Amino acid sequence: MKLKLWIAYRLLFSRQNLFGGSAPLAFAGLILGVAALVASMAVMSGYVETLKNAMTDVTGDIQVVRRGRLVDDWPAFSKRLKTIEPRIQAAARFGYAESVLARKGQVSGVLFQGVELTDLRKVLNLDKRVKSGSLTLSEDKIVIGTGLAKKFGIQVGEKIYVVVPLATPFDSSGFRRQSKEFLVSGVLDFGKNDWNERLILADLKALQALTEIGDRYTGAFIKLDDRNFSTEASYKIMDQLGSGYSVMDWYEVNRNLFEAVTIERAVIFIVVLMIVIVAAFNISSTLYIFIRQKYSDIAILKTLGLSRKKIRAIFLGQGLIVGGLGTGIGFLLGYLLCLGFMFLQNHYALISGSVYKIDKIQTQIRFLDLSIIGCATLFICLIATYFPAVKGSELEVVEGLKNV
Amino acid sequence: MFNEPSFIDVQNLQKVYKTGASELAVLKGITFQIKKGEAVCLLGTSGAGKSTLLQILGTLDRPTSGQVLYRGQNLFELNDESLAQFRNEKMGFVFQFHHLIQEMTAVENVMLPALIANENKLEAREKAMNWLQFLGLGERYDHFPNQLSGGELQRVAIARALIKNPEVLFADEPTGNLDSENSQKIQELFFELRNKLGLTLIVVTHDLNFAGLFPRVFKVKDGRFA
Repeated sequence: MKLKLWIAYRLLFSRQNLFGGSAPLAFAGLILGVAALVASMAVMSGYVETLKNAMTDVTGDIQVVRRGRLVDDWPAFSKRLKTIEPRIQAAARFGYAESVLARKGQVSGVLFQGVELTDLRKVLNLDKRVKSGSLTLSEDKIVIGTGLAKKFGIQVGEKIYVVVPLATPFDSSGFRRQSKEFLVSGVLDFGKNDWNERLILADLKALQALTEIGDRYTGAFIKLDDRNFSTEASYKIMDQLGSGYSVMDWYEVNRNLFEAVTIERAVIFIVVLMIVIVAAFNISSTLYIFIRQKYSDIAILKTLGLSRKKIRAIFLGQGLIVGGLGTGIGFLLGYLLCLGFMFLQNHYALISGSVYKIDKIQTQIRFLDLSIIGCATLFICLIATYFPAVKGSELEVVEGLKNV
Repeated sequence: MFNEPSFIDVQNLQKVYKTGASELAVLKGITFQIKKGEAVCLLGTSGAGKSTLLQILGTLDRPTSGQVLYRGQNLFELNDESLAQFRNEKMGFVFQFHHLIQEMTAVENVMLPALIANENKLEAREKAMNWLQFLGLGERYDHFPNQLSGGELQRVAIARALIKNPEVLFADEPTGNLDSENSQKIQELFFELRNKLGLTLIVVTHDLNFAGLFPRVFKVKDGRFA
């Protein structure tokens, strides 16, 4: 094999062959195809990972919500959850109310969520999501999402009004309003666009006081010791708690989105792979021309004792070299494209948060993606060179010797 | 003793090229034998069939009918792999045009048959350099073909043909592309090599002076021995 690769290399890497004719263009096409595949897969993987991180940072691995009514006695409920699923590392209760934010004549519907910050920090990773100010919650201090801050032009240290409509006990269609002024202590990037534009995080006691629910709450965020068991654990908890509770793991919360991304990833892979296939066709035609030009060399190699099989192996070796180099350089260019994408993303609004749920993606180059791209490219290059290789191996020596 | 096979035994060799409905018979039943160490010249005008005969003897082409036996063995019964190996081990070829690979240096071109036979690269290089030295190209190891003169190119091709110590050296118009001085030198070199190595020499030429140096000359005319 060494000899065949050596001959393949020597025939391929002459100044005339490497830089002449259509070979460089065909090679550049392959590199671009591989780079586009690497970059698109990195963006897709990064999208899933960014979304996944946002989910677990803001809602935990599992979210349990009592249907139709509120829960009381948190120590007992928390203990029950841990008994059902020993993998639970920490849990934090929360409550929420659909509310209205009012500021300087503007109003907007928001989700007013109350949490206990000490417990919450054990479950969610909100501290790293602070964009300005700090994550401080108290009777009159709240934090809001970046979208809300932008929409209302709210700065840290400013005050906003939160209005909560409360049902009246004797009239099912009537309600009264409760309102309170809060100081914005921080602005957070909650990771998802709709959360950023709707979520207000307050102290649980403030929510309970505003909504007059006593010490009751809506549900709990749960963190497991291993995120990979989220689905299994959520089924277990759902099974034990019964139909009065809604239990969703991070995947279930956005199941449709994750499933769509999985399909999109496959579709994008196939579409971008077309570029590699087209490039492989170019390589194939270049190799046909190359073999025509090397007719005399093939004849002499046969004369010197190389069999048809070995001649074929030489040209397949060229496919392997071209494919390997194209893949390697394509990987490098793909990495640079990812860096470029990150740079542009930091300076311009490339992604519409309202369409894609998130407005910033961390690209993620996964070993699995690279392996699949590498194997697919090498396979396509081998197929593309196989037919010219067979053609080359079957050339008649006598005809070849006439070509000078 | 009587039944000992000839070194090369050619029996009723015919070669017909088919082009559509028409047929062109290039060889029309040639029979002859060659002893080991003999120097044989195939002489004839252009189109007489001498190159086709040499190519069939060298297993580069297959006959339409007839046999070529080497030490009694019909080579055309071998598969492609075995035939290629046989050519590599037993035969050397020199053509009118040197047919050196342009992308390889002189020494790499000479090394090729040894490398094809899976010989160690360093040893093959040393052997190739010895041959180039012997043929007066000691200073030209690392020159590419486009940096060598016509005579030098042909000597590199001869070194390449000899590196595997073949039993038979086939040469098709080896001096056809050289000036008279280089032509003279190459002709002398062939006989020097034959005497030194005990080679069987089969040379195709239309040069009567060159043919005159051979003890045995077959005149090929219209696909037959005249």
